[in-house]
Amino acid sequence: MKRPHNHSGDRTCNSPEHTIHRRMFLDGSMAAGAASVASFNGLFSIPAIADETRRNGKKCILLWLCGAPSQFETWDPKPNTPTGGPFGAIDTQTPGVQISSLMPKSSSIMDRLAIVRSMKTRPSEHFQGIDVLTRGDQPRPPFVRPILGSVVAEQLGQLDSPVPQFVLLDPCPEGNEFKGFKAGNWAGWLGAEYGPVRAGGEYSIPDLLRPETLSETDHSDREALRRFLSRKFENDQRSKAAASYNAAFERVKGLMSCAPLFDLNKLPEQDRQRYGGGAFSQHVLQARHLIENGSTFVMVANGMPWDNHVFQHEMHQMLVPEFDNVLFQLVTDLEDRGMLEDTLVIAMGEFGRTPWLNEARGRDHYPNAWSLAMAGAGVKPGVVYGATDKYGVEVVDGQVDNHRLFATIFSALGIDPHEEYDLPGLPTFQRVEEDAAPIAELLIKTDGLKA
Amino acid sequence: MISTSLSLTADFKLPTGILGASVSDDGTSLVAACMDGIYQADLQSQSSEKIGQHSSYVSSAAFLPERDAVISAGYDGVIQWIDLPTKQQIRKLQLHDFWSWDMAVSPDRSLIASVTGQYLAGDYKYEPLAEREPSVKIVATVTGEVLHSLPHVPSVQAVAFSPDGKFVAAGNLMGEVRVWNVHSGKLAASFTTSDFTSWGIIKSHSYLGGIFALKFTPDGKELLLAGMGPMQDPMAGNGRQLWQKWSWNDSEPCKLDETHKGESGEGLMETVAVHPDGRQFVMGGRLRGGDWNAAMFDLASGVRTATLKTGFRVTEANFTADGQQLILVGAQGQPKKMVDGAFPNFGRVEVYDVAAG
Repeated sequence: MKRPHNHSGDRTCNSPEHTIHRRMFLDGSMAAGAASVASFNGLFSIPAIADETRRNGKKCILLWLCGAPSQFETWDPKPNTPTGGPFGAIDTQTPGVQISSLMPKSSSIMDRLAIVRSMKTRPSEHFQGIDVLTRGDQPRPPFVRPILGSVVAEQLGQLDSPVPQFVLLDPCPEGNEFKGFKAGNWAGWLGAEYGPVRAGGEYSIPDLLRPETLSETDHSDREALRRFLSRKFENDQRSKAAASYNAAFERVKGLMSCAPLFDLNKLPEQDRQRYGGGAFSQHVLQARHLIENGSTFVMVANGMPWDNHVFQHEMHQMLVPEFDNVLFQLVTDLEDRGMLEDTLVIAMGEFGRTPWLNEARGRDHYPNAWSLAMAGAGVKPGVVYGATDKYGVEVVDGQVDNHRLFATIFSALGIDPHEEYDLPGLPTFQRVEEDAAPIAELLIKTDGLKA
Repeated sequence: MISTSLSLTADFKLPTGILGASVSDDGTSLVAACMDGIYQADLQSQSSEKIGQHSSYVSSAAFLPERDAVISAGYDGVIQWIDLPTKQQIRKLQLHDFWSWDMAVSPDRSLIASVTGQYLAGDYKYEPLAEREPSVKIVATVTGEVLHSLPHVPSVQAVAFSPDGKFVAAGNLMGEVRVWNVHSGKLAASFTTSDFTSWGIIKSHSYLGGIFALKFTPDGKELLLAGMGPMQDPMAGNGRQLWQKWSWNDSEPCKLDETHKGESGEGLMETVAVHPDGRQFVMGGRLRGGDWNAAMFDLASGVRTATLKTGFRVTEANFTADGQQLILVGAQGQPKKMVDGAFPNFGRVEVYDVAAG
């Protein structure tokens, strides 16, 4: 089915926001930074391009385990085998299913989780893996497929919300490929307005707060003066850049109203204790908070801590328990708030790790057989899908690639995975290519799915 | 200055990676702590036999010749005693909830000290959470009685007794060394060196590294520490190969020396051992960059006197009691392909003749 979209092709490659990194704004350079988020203002002003029935209130939190966690130390342990590593396996609430002994809390909510143990994807390097597992497909230059959060924001975002619809919380931006991303890298052909607002760590948004030395009246007066002068300049000079700056200032005004949502210190202390002290934990809590308050898609990353070519077990002894706790807290919180039915939680990286240890006691990249977890929204709880062989080397049942995964994710969120993008000046793309079928066994609602 | 030559005389493999080892008093036998169990190897015939196992990796193993036994520690937190004639387990003690990272035997073999601790995120910048169990335990080898349970900050990764057996020292992830009086269990000294610990500026905002080996000098007055210098990228493993010598018992413990400029490459150093003549020590580990992964150093001057490039990660170095041989053990990368239904052996043992002039 083709659906007309109100996008212009030149948004993806020529507008000024594509040449100015979003970080500049958040680094505190208001003028330069304003341009970088200029088009985000469009999220609140784009015409209603989809039926309201699409906007069914579904949301998504992606715990982006960047660097790629080990399936052996998480969802697919192989205890007492040459590849199993030093950590054991524990029983879960689901009879016959074991997970790593590093994950006792997740074991207690297995009836709410869906595990895929049979991921097999192609890229074995981070940049390519991140591309494929956050966009659903490999690049097809010069066209940039939008990242999952951009698609969800575009499809399910609330037009009248002052809260950003796609938020990326990443306190360690030095650590992954995202630091180099420009606005257009995120949303691709959808247009930069569907890129994320970034926060976390050095991406905090302190400049959104009005300085105490500046009164509300003075602030309004200055804004009025700025608006008058820049509009005049814009009109006199027909300046696209000035228009962009103006749009950005409007966007900043919108963000100011929800700035407290980005302040970790304003989160309830009891919740902060429960989620744990680490930056990733705190930002997962913040993700819950943003979703509760109107965001549609929140992606939480923390650099690339899972890339343990060295010190595999020494790092996983810390990272997995942290992940175990935040997944437990998040899923149970969403359930307690009656939000789990409408909120899809996805926890994955860009691939898995090798069954064998390298000389440096690390596990290397391994896309051939790896695992991920989902919970909530339209995903069937208590399911373990697919299997690997006894050493975890190959998938032996239910192989899933990135296409099937994304078809499943979109289906769970009520987004047609096979819809075509019909964008001026671009070839026809499908939201998920190759007509890939969602995994019916993982979906609660399977009516109308392609076989 | 001392000059040393090292000549390879034996090289053989065990089934899985060797994480720790000790040599018998007569220098003919090796007990190896491996990923899949405990092995006893004959250094002359280069044959080996599996004599026991833990439910996870074995981290340390040592002979208790007075009892004709072996004592081992593992990632299951268990200490066990194995009778050598029968190869039967004669005592098992669940000493820790988490791994035994390292175990040391006192010079008179009456005590062992084992260290544990799981690094868990304690705060926003991943400062280690306080210990959930005592990080250092001292156990009587004859009775299995736990004599002291001592506090430290996880993870505690290395432990050693002083040559006179009066002190035990333990070093951790954060580069903190604590020294206790073995008899009283009282803290005798503590100091911290930040030179072994990385906080990932890129890729990961967390701590990594720390002190991976330590030994007292023969006079007991100083401590040799080993590990790797800080890295910006904790995933790189490319910190400098680092040892430091500290005067621990002064009113203000101070660093006396460290790997000399121009004498180190890159890679984690996991073992340090002092030659029986008390004039040299060896440090070994992984080669990440440079031209050696095990080297001898003059204890007094700190000058490097010999280097080795073994081609595998060295996890433990032992000298025979007469000082004439150096035994290095470790692991190469785990083979990817099975041969005849099994993974090829990847635990490594090398024996070198030591000639010091």
